[in-house]
Amino acid sequence: MFNLLCMDLYRIKRSKFAYVCFGCLLGVIFLSYLMVWLMATPKGQETALKLGMLPLNELEEGRALLAEADVLAMFRESGMDGGMYSLTFGVAVALLVCGDYQGGFMKNIMSLHRQRQVYIGSKLMAAGILNFLYLTLGFAFNMLMNQLFRHMVPASDWRATLFYLGWAWVLTTGFAALIILLCVLSRSTTIGVLGAVFGSSGLIVMLLHSITSQFHLGGWVEYTIYYNLTYGPSAYASVGDLRGVAVGLAFLALYSAASVVAVRKRDI
Amino acid sequence: MSKEKEKLAVETLSLTKSYNGKAAVNHLSMQVRQGAIYGFIGRNGAGKSTTLKMLCGLAKPTEGEIRLFGKPAEDSYMARRLGCLIESTGLYPNMTARQNMMMKAKCMGLTDEKSVDRALASTGLSDTGSKKARYFSMGMKQRLGIGLALLGNPDLLILDEPINGLDPEGTREVRELLLALSQEGKTLIISSHILGELSKVATHYGIIKEGNLVEQIDRETLEGNCRDYFQIEVDDSKRALPLILEHAPQMQAEVMDDKIIRLYDLKDGAWLNHLLIENRVQVYSSGFHHMDLEEYFLNRMDNLAEGRKGGEEHV
Repeated sequence: MFNLLCMDLYRIKRSKFAYVCFGCLLGVIFLSYLMVWLMATPKGQETALKLGMLPLNELEEGRALLAEADVLAMFRESGMDGGMYSLTFGVAVALLVCGDYQGGFMKNIMSLHRQRQVYIGSKLMAAGILNFLYLTLGFAFNMLMNQLFRHMVPASDWRATLFYLGWAWVLTTGFAALIILLCVLSRSTTIGVLGAVFGSSGLIVMLLHSITSQFHLGGWVEYTIYYNLTYGPSAYASVGDLRGVAVGLAFLALYSAASVVAVRKRDI
Repeated sequence: MSKEKEKLAVETLSLTKSYNGKAAVNHLSMQVRQGAIYGFIGRNGAGKSTTLKMLCGLAKPTEGEIRLFGKPAEDSYMARRLGCLIESTGLYPNMTARQNMMMKAKCMGLTDEKSVDRALASTGLSDTGSKKARYFSMGMKQRLGIGLALLGNPDLLILDEPINGLDPEGTREVRELLLALSQEGKTLIISSHILGELSKVATHYGIIKEGNLVEQIDRETLEGNCRDYFQIEVDDSKRALPLILEHAPQMQAEVMDDKIIRLYDLKDGAWLNHLLIENRVQVYSSGFHHMDLEEYFLNRMDNLAEGRKGGEEHV
């Protein structure tokens, strides 16, 4: 498995997709800071007024944006809660997995590794490492942006930050397992990317929730990756705050097992 | 285990692959000796690629067993003794030849980059530099595929159509490479439709038809079967044949169609031409031929088809 992981990391290092996706993520963080600066800081509002981006009656409302914000809240707002992070990371995972099928390199891999579960294991580990890098470097960039925008928001508690990044990593790695499953089943980049789009936006979850809510059966939504990633806690207060971790691990196990079955059943 | 079995690089026991209940490969029992160059031939859709895919672990047999060097093919160590090129070359199009090689080397756990350079050199791809694989010609891709199969110095090479898309020079280079690999003691299984080229390297042949292995034959026996013959084209073979057999009753003859007759063990054709002309049988062409692998293969296929119909036309 470690040989395959080394191969995947070598590929990630030399492929454009990993950098392009990360660049998109950084771009979104930068834009979020820029928007908040324009809307909520006196200097920014002055510029926004000159540009006609902000009506005069919304100045106070804009300033209120920063009332309870800190660096972690900015990070969540800039992409995590809205699903932008899941989308970008999901696309990267889809390109990582489907690349093996598209060019036919899968034949070289599978002729060497006949225990096919090893393939899924290596892909999950590679996705986990990529996720860790995206989250930590993304958060570091988020802090850098706060510095650049003259400490627009106060720093967050380091324990809260670690707690948040920890459960967000588990949940988004569970999301990566879903994308891996879709790619292994369909062997299509398009399906993988569409899965990332629909999964990250919560479109399917919300649609199903609105239908099942009609029958008072909407409670399941609290056990989805999308819901927990969007509404999960920013700091640990009680055991109940670990629900995101439990949901992430459960989906990680479920999707990984399904991927192993799929990759073992189908010929290359 | 018998000594005979120890010498086999590949042995399949009643290997079967079915798709929706239809057998693409049907109880195939093949034996490939160590050090042999095994030419695996058959028409399109005969089951060659499916068989080779099963040997390489890319397709799961419905029934039967595969043994590589006397051990079950599932043995992970066995997989490392095998290099394969199945159908189109498996590549990352956005990577260079060296990067593709490095990917496979990492996948195998090879740490010495010299093995990558050696494989690149042996396939003539050392100087492709930063050119990405998607811009390679078909021949270059094929050579890179062979290079990938050679990585890790495998004992058994399974190559499906390795000379597809190669120019004459590239074909010759690959042929020389295959012969050199065979001299190193490696076993090769090669499937190719270019039978003339295959006959230049193969030491053994396996002929597959509709999923069934119809014949396994070594080069010596094949050469014995591929006898010289005298082919004559006349206006009416039904008139010509009795005439010939009247004058040479012990001669073996084969009527190919209404106009073409093949005569075996004939040393001199002049008297025959003279005989036919004298008896007012028009002779359009005549001459000695040597049956090559292609003709042998086509004959074998035709005979099998005719055998099924029960209408063999041998004299």
